[in-house]
Amino acid sequence: MWEFVARSLEASTIFLFAALGELIDQRSGVLNVGIEGVMLFGGTLGFIAAQSTDSYWLGFLAAIAIGGLLGLMHGFFSITLGADQVVSGMGIWIVGFGLTTYIGAPYTGPLGMDRIPTIFGLSPFFYIGLALAVVSWFVLFKTSWGLRIRSVGENPSVAQVSGISVSRTRYLCVTIGGMLGGFAGAIYSLYYNPVWNYNFLMGWGFIALALVFFSMWNPLILVGGSLLFATLWQLSLNPQLVLPGLLSRYVWRTVPFVITIVALLIISTKWFRIRWGAAKPEALAKPYSEE
Amino acid sequence: MRIGSHELNLEKRSTLPAWQAATISLLAILFALTIFSLIFILAKVNPLVAYREIFSYAFANRFGLPLTINRFIFLLLCTYAFIIPYKAGLWNIGMTGQLYGGVLGTFAILFAAGGKEFDNASLSPEILIPLMLIAAALGGAALGAIAGFLKGRFDVNEIVVTMMLNSIAFWLVAQMIKEGGPFMNPGGEGQSFEVPLSVRAPLIMNIPFTIFLALGVAVLLHFVFTKTKIGYQIRAHGHSPAAARYAGISTTKIPLMVFVLGGALAGLAGYHYYAAVPGVYKISGNYGYFGDLAFYGIICGLISLGDPLAAIPVTLLFAGLSIGGRNAQGAFHMSFGVDYALLGVLMITLVVFQFFYRYRIVWAKTEEDRLDVGVRR
Repeated sequence: MWEFVARSLEASTIFLFAALGELIDQRSGVLNVGIEGVMLFGGTLGFIAAQSTDSYWLGFLAAIAIGGLLGLMHGFFSITLGADQVVSGMGIWIVGFGLTTYIGAPYTGPLGMDRIPTIFGLSPFFYIGLALAVVSWFVLFKTSWGLRIRSVGENPSVAQVSGISVSRTRYLCVTIGGMLGGFAGAIYSLYYNPVWNYNFLMGWGFIALALVFFSMWNPLILVGGSLLFATLWQLSLNPQLVLPGLLSRYVWRTVPFVITIVALLIISTKWFRIRWGAAKPEALAKPYSEE
Repeated sequence: MRIGSHELNLEKRSTLPAWQAATISLLAILFALTIFSLIFILAKVNPLVAYREIFSYAFANRFGLPLTINRFIFLLLCTYAFIIPYKAGLWNIGMTGQLYGGVLGTFAILFAAGGKEFDNASLSPEILIPLMLIAAALGGAALGAIAGFLKGRFDVNEIVVTMMLNSIAFWLVAQMIKEGGPFMNPGGEGQSFEVPLSVRAPLIMNIPFTIFLALGVAVLLHFVFTKTKIGYQIRAHGHSPAAARYAGISTTKIPLMVFVLGGALAGLAGYHYYAAVPGVYKISGNYGYFGDLAFYGIICGLISLGDPLAAIPVTLLFAGLSIGGRNAQGAFHMSFGVDYALLGVLMITLVVFQFFYRYRIVWAKTEEDRLDVGVRR
């Protein structure tokens, strides 16, 4: 049983990092639908770097670097060029999916390094993730930086008039968001499941994206959401724990995806929007030009 | 930016004439292929030799050309599955799931007709083949309908929903063909039974009849988008759903309709690849590969700017590139996934080039050097 709980907590860490990055993006008004691509890149390059240098540090560093770079790229397209953010995000996803398949192919197989040491049975990332969620919540809602980020995401022209640089704030947020996404991918490929295979995420990035909507853009609710989905994910891998022999294991694998759709549906209903709807950043996905 | 007496300016385009759009798209493709040379150079292959190999295999080879044409039919249907919702301003990245829906529909009909056991004479193809096509379209449409309904009725993000449906459909196919699933091949694990000889799709000069289906859809869509009320409503919804609603267009029905139509076409693409392409005729164990290929539909749709007729040459080119790329991978002993890498490079180039669809670069004399000084712009 402990093993099941531990695996769920580890999985939740990956959702949490990726979704936290996306949450910071979106709070500043930039939608990045390509986190799956960022995570694939981080996971793949992190895997290659760690395996070839035999150092986890360099692996994670490479993942964070490529994640930040992709975040910057998304920023360049969506902030500087004012491109359609969905097109750019989709681009990042498909680039990640396509290029990592080719780049990683020679490395297909297990990582073959000692496991990362655990603290009380859990990886250090779990604790870092929790701390980071609390810190992001504090920064976003209790500091003037956070106010700046949120105002840029709600109403960029007003923020601009009150002396905040919209593009600088957004660039900062997308870069940090990308770094967190890359890091999340590397936690998957270096710790959670250290075997490289093409397209190894199978939609985790998109679930993380859904989690951000689900969290109502609040890092603390995001922690709860990540835990919930990670547990569901583990249950779908181990159906014998809940209802032995009921459905086949392939049907169980679809459960987290079905529940994602149901959760999205619930938060999209009129009832929910009236009750909680004000949370969505008003300027989300709208290009802004400083003129 | 100023260079000498001339100045480089960016101007927002108000209109984009068709020939300019075509030029930009063509430049984007050429640019992507140039960038892609890097992949060959890094693999120590001369890019010129590689491209000659790719194009000659894809378009001038006895073995390669039929593969290209079959992939072209598949991709064209996937492209339309993307384009129809795209015209309405919606993103369908669920072609993969929808084509799995289609292939499940196809095999459900075969299974019901006893296709797992029967040999040639038991049931007439005149009945079964149309039934398979209808079931394929319905299977794809059913998945599309979920996304379209949720989008139209509750405004649920269609990108996440279609992606989730991809994963769901992927596992459902596994459920049907693996570990004693109903469609499992009696002889081999992990793949479906074969389509019986008598109900394989008729071939015309060794090409499945589905090519007429795909090209027919192209003409039909062109007509729908340019000449009909419903096409106009879809485009209006694409420009601004809010404005469309004021004009009396149902913002509930349009998303549902475009996703049902798109899903149905993706379903037919599923029928095509698993039940009509010579040499396949079953759901193979690596069916995920064809699902991945469907994502080329996104790129073809974007490069052709949603124009159903422009999509034909674009899709033919990419079908050839992906077939030729796969072949080059073997011929030059490159690592797996050359066609996936091409997908990635094309996509990112396209994102960059999106900029040029909206802005143009103006190369003009600086204001001081102009004769019409004093006329400030």
